[in-house]
Amino acid sequence: MIQLDVELPLPEFTLRVDVCLEADVTAVMGPSGAGKTSLLETIAGLRRGATGKIGVAGRVFLDSSQRVQWSPERRRVGFVPQDAGLFPHMSALENVRFGARGDDARVSTVIDVLEIRSLLARRPDALSGGEKQRVALARALAMAPTLLLLDEPLASLDVGLRERILPYLLRVRDEWQVPILYVTHNVGEALALAGHVVLLREGQIQQAGPPLELLTSDAAVDDEIENVLRGRVIAHDTAGGITRVALASGPELAVRLAVGRSIGAAVTLAVPAEDVLVAIEPVSGLSARNIYAAELRTIDHGAVDVTLRCVPEQGGPAWIVRVTPQAARVLQLVPGRRVGLAVKSHSVRFI
Amino acid sequence: MGFTLQMAALATLAILPFGIAAGLALARYTGPGKGALETFLSLPLVLPPTAVGVVLLELLSRRRFPGSLFASLDIEVVFTWKAVLLATAVMSFPLLVRSARTAFEEVDPRLVGMARSLGASPTRAFVRVTLPLAWRGLLGGSILAFSRALGEFGATVMVAGNIPGQTRTLALAVFHESQSGRDERAAVLAGVTVALAFAALWVTEWIARRRSVGAA
Repeated sequence: MIQLDVELPLPEFTLRVDVCLEADVTAVMGPSGAGKTSLLETIAGLRRGATGKIGVAGRVFLDSSQRVQWSPERRRVGFVPQDAGLFPHMSALENVRFGARGDDARVSTVIDVLEIRSLLARRPDALSGGEKQRVALARALAMAPTLLLLDEPLASLDVGLRERILPYLLRVRDEWQVPILYVTHNVGEALALAGHVVLLREGQIQQAGPPLELLTSDAAVDDEIENVLRGRVIAHDTAGGITRVALASGPELAVRLAVGRSIGAAVTLAVPAEDVLVAIEPVSGLSARNIYAAELRTIDHGAVDVTLRCVPEQGGPAWIVRVTPQAARVLQLVPGRRVGLAVKSHSVRFI
Repeated sequence: MGFTLQMAALATLAILPFGIAAGLALARYTGPGKGALETFLSLPLVLPPTAVGVVLLELLSRRRFPGSLFASLDIEVVFTWKAVLLATAVMSFPLLVRSARTAFEEVDPRLVGMARSLGASPTRAFVRVTLPLAWRGLLGGSILAFSRALGEFGATVMVAGNIPGQTRTLALAVFHESQSGRDERAAVLAGVTVALAFAALWVTEWIARRRSVGAA
């Protein structure tokens, strides 16, 4: 559990965060310059001038009323900054061992989990962006941290690399059981990883709550919202150019052919909310390969778009759909209405 | 020549810890008085060396501290090799501080923060991260200071005089031979100083080049 009640004066505004986080993974979101990185640095003890209280798993890092202020080295917080922050004059192995206090068994384990054994002799300037992130994550884990702070670990990576790193983060979350505070701009990542979301704006918490409710509501960042789905690959139709995935929630989803995924493999999929079509009459003769009957539950009118939550009749979590206000008006969308949802195979991507 | 090299090397070694400390302080400290401190530390660079010599002579006078202290300990400084050392050290110090400061400024403070959050004490973070990342600049600065010490004339002649076999460095010898009309000998000695300075600067350039290649 992470208890925060801190204030940090910044040039533009004062960061004020008063929240208690109990989820394994908390995503910290918000526009650029909202104070997300400053918040992480404050927790790690790298910012002077912070006042208030910070407690992590019963250890009090900061309590200015009691004049308690632990040094960064005493906090033992694994911090992975956006650019990985590797020491340029050390090999990957020396980086990973830096904070491990001679615990070679643990070093060896994190090297295996993050699959960086072949990179160990290299200096950071000979590593790609994704490799740097993995080494930095290994370095943070090797010190047996009480808390992991990840500052947009995937932001500098292209989509292909993101897809490769996200599973490592899921492994860290599930195998190490270290609480994680995770800064991201990407709604899909937050939905895939986090159990709780904190939305920062100009240094204040604008909203906090479960990701699905929060990220699809009005106040959410004007970012692309994605539906994140988990399932298993059941078949490849090479002639038809599609791969069939059985979703955990029941129905099947046809996606673009991905023979690289073996049959039975667990996969995480994302569908942008804008890419889901809504029909008010039974759908036929459409090229989209995935058509579901659903019930429209809520309609949120945002500044630009209208966000719909639709629960499939076959069950499972609600689909988030974004349409223009005009479409909502013309289709006379109201809560409770039966609708058809259509998703093109090409709109689905693997995370 | 051996005496000159010895003095320059000793002077460089003597100012190294102070130069590193001052360079680090200037690179990291941002509070009030920074500008004044900077200016003060750079003064020997722009003052006439003879003026620095006068100040040193005053400080070494038996009438005041610290000259009185040396006198009570029976340590003779003025017109001895110790005065040569002092004058060259004072004149070279600003060059070392400036190089050290630049070297430390180029070390990303966030890397030091990373080292701290990975469990390193401030000392360990300095030894394992700051120093290794700044060492080329520090070495370059030391060589620059060493070169400056080799050629120091004005302050040295004021506090150490020009005593053959005792305080006469190369620079003083060049002056002496030229004044005595032995132009050829002066030219030879001048040639030696050129060779020494060239070698030192060339090594500095070489280090700087390697650093920029390493950074790219």
